[in-house]
Amino acid sequence: MNRRYLLMALAIACVPILTLMGCPQTEPPSEGGASASGTSSSGATAEPGQTIEIAMIPKLIGIDFFNAAERGAQEAADELDGVELIYDGPTEASVEDQVEMIEMYTDRGVDVLAVACNDPNAVADSLQRAVDKGITVITWDSDADPEASSRAFFVNQARPRDLAETLIDEMARQAGEDANIVIISSTPTATNQNTWIEHMRDYMNQEYPDMAEAADIQYPGEDQQAATMTTQDVLKANPAINGVIGLSSNAFPGATQAVVDQGLEDEVAVVGLGTPNAMRAWIDRGEIDTTVLWDVVELGYLAVYVGQAVARGELSPGDESFDAGRLGEVAVEGDEVILGEPMVFTKETVGDYDF
Amino acid sequence: MKDAPKGGRLAGPEPILGILLLLLLVGLSVASEDFRRPGNYLGMTRFFVEVGLIALPMTLVIITGGIDLSVGSIVALSAVTLGMAWRDAGLSIWAATGLGILVGAVAGLVNGALIVGFRIPPLIVTLATMAAYRGLAVGISHGDSIGGFPSAFKVLGRGFYYLPQGIEIPGQLLYLVVLAIVFRVILARTKTGRQVYAIGLSEPGARYAGAPVDRIKLLLYGASGAMAGLAGAVLSSRVSTATPDLGLLFELDAITACVLGGVSIYGGRGSILGTMLGLLIVGSLKRGLFFLGVEAMDQNIIIGAVLIVAVFAHQVVAPAARNWLAREPHPKEGST
Repeated sequence: MNRRYLLMALAIACVPILTLMGCPQTEPPSEGGASASGTSSSGATAEPGQTIEIAMIPKLIGIDFFNAAERGAQEAADELDGVELIYDGPTEASVEDQVEMIEMYTDRGVDVLAVACNDPNAVADSLQRAVDKGITVITWDSDADPEASSRAFFVNQARPRDLAETLIDEMARQAGEDANIVIISSTPTATNQNTWIEHMRDYMNQEYPDMAEAADIQYPGEDQQAATMTTQDVLKANPAINGVIGLSSNAFPGATQAVVDQGLEDEVAVVGLGTPNAMRAWIDRGEIDTTVLWDVVELGYLAVYVGQAVARGELSPGDESFDAGRLGEVAVEGDEVILGEPMVFTKETVGDYDF
Repeated sequence: MKDAPKGGRLAGPEPILGILLLLLLVGLSVASEDFRRPGNYLGMTRFFVEVGLIALPMTLVIITGGIDLSVGSIVALSAVTLGMAWRDAGLSIWAATGLGILVGAVAGLVNGALIVGFRIPPLIVTLATMAAYRGLAVGISHGDSIGGFPSAFKVLGRGFYYLPQGIEIPGQLLYLVVLAIVFRVILARTKTGRQVYAIGLSEPGARYAGAPVDRIKLLLYGASGAMAGLAGAVLSSRVSTATPDLGLLFELDAITACVLGGVSIYGGRGSILGTMLGLLIVGSLKRGLFFLGVEAMDQNIIIGAVLIVAVFAHQVVAPAARNWLAREPHPKEGST
């Protein structure tokens, strides 16, 4: 029976113990020297000749897209001396799992973390923690909040302006410079899509003044079937339309399906952003001409080049260009490294890519 | 008289689990340089404290012969509530946290009311609400993720006590320890705790003996929801974001910890200490396998295999051993 009181005393004792220990700290005690957190940019410089261990964390593993990036990353790691690559990510595109992975590799102590972020805010604190521990942090494919994460560089697959202009050029080539187009986007608040739309409109006004939007922008959400239905409706309501732009990985196949279902593939051109694997069947049958994207293999390749160069102190913000192996000189703009111009995959080339 | 079955308490699986955990920690420390870094042992706990918080009431729920599959969805629902109350309704972050936990408790009480009021099996009720609560979380947030919380909120899931040599003790580990003691005292040292076991052994029996069966069940599912709400707040703080896909599969992780810890899925048997040992075994194993370079998918296979072995040990080997001991000339008293 004394044990009962002992246990209760123990439980009660926890309260003053907790009070004494106070609140946990959210920042490590500074180890002498004023290291103002948040302003210090990423990374301690590695010794020359030292092996650099890069942990590359995609949004998820096991899909064609990120498998392709892994191939490129591995090719870069094989080419470079003293680079060891770990390519590992969550099995689903979950913020929670990705944060856990980032923190585990941080605790394990790698030299470079290269992350394709599932959420720009969610991973930022974890990346900041890695930077605080002296790890070089870069992002690729999808950026983290640059201030909150203190990441050194974002390896950008394509400038939004270039993507928008490539799409409009493709439309002009396929449907004529006086095409009547409609844009199928995803949701009204989708940031990437809205940026592209802005650039597309600017470019149309400038280069193709006769090209016109024959209907309002459609927002079927991230849903391929909804995109098909929306496109069908808008085509029926506006017979003058002879060009459709699908602006998401759901809108493009959805819109293509709608045009093919109505037997309009010879009258209506469909252009958009999509992976070769997603669009291959339609391209092979000649129902659409092209799909626009970037080379994901080369994106993975570039990310490894950038990661090791930053860790070795060979690349820092403010540089104007960067020598990235087989890619040659690539552009550096502020704290972004640009892969290059978007790629247009055609019937002839689409078979060479597997993502 | 209450002290009578002293030996019987040792007949449970806890000592064996403790030895297993020790062997596992030693083995992984020998095998992996990263695992034996001093900061790792305490630091790694922050990845499973949230599941631990859920596993505490889950232990009691399973001992009554019930189950709560909706906890992972309640984590998401409370996290989203917290996020939206702070961002959209302009509540202070701590008021929003309180509201999130309250919503969790209400969600749990709804489970309890359906189970007690309509006599629907807990498996069915919580399977339904698992889908419903997750759907609600997606619906009210429109699938959006909410981030950019004030830095004071980081204390919940990203705070550390710093020891010399850069060793970090995650703050949330202390919440788990304190709450585990509270649950342990309730289960092992109170009348309510004994009634929880009684319900699991025979619900009609417990009723005849005058135990407030319905009230206890209602409270347990409510507590389960509230703890899931707390886990949601800690998790949102740890991953700096509130999204409706938080807490996915937490119900299975929590049940795994319970079952591994010797809580009988048929009810009537189990302890908080066992569950916490189960949690530590799964958590360390996951972490160790990660450090040894085992990929996520293979980790799941290994943990599944460990679970099957554990259930076999608890359900087949342990009762057989108890029977065998009972036939000895000096029978050890006090199995259930």
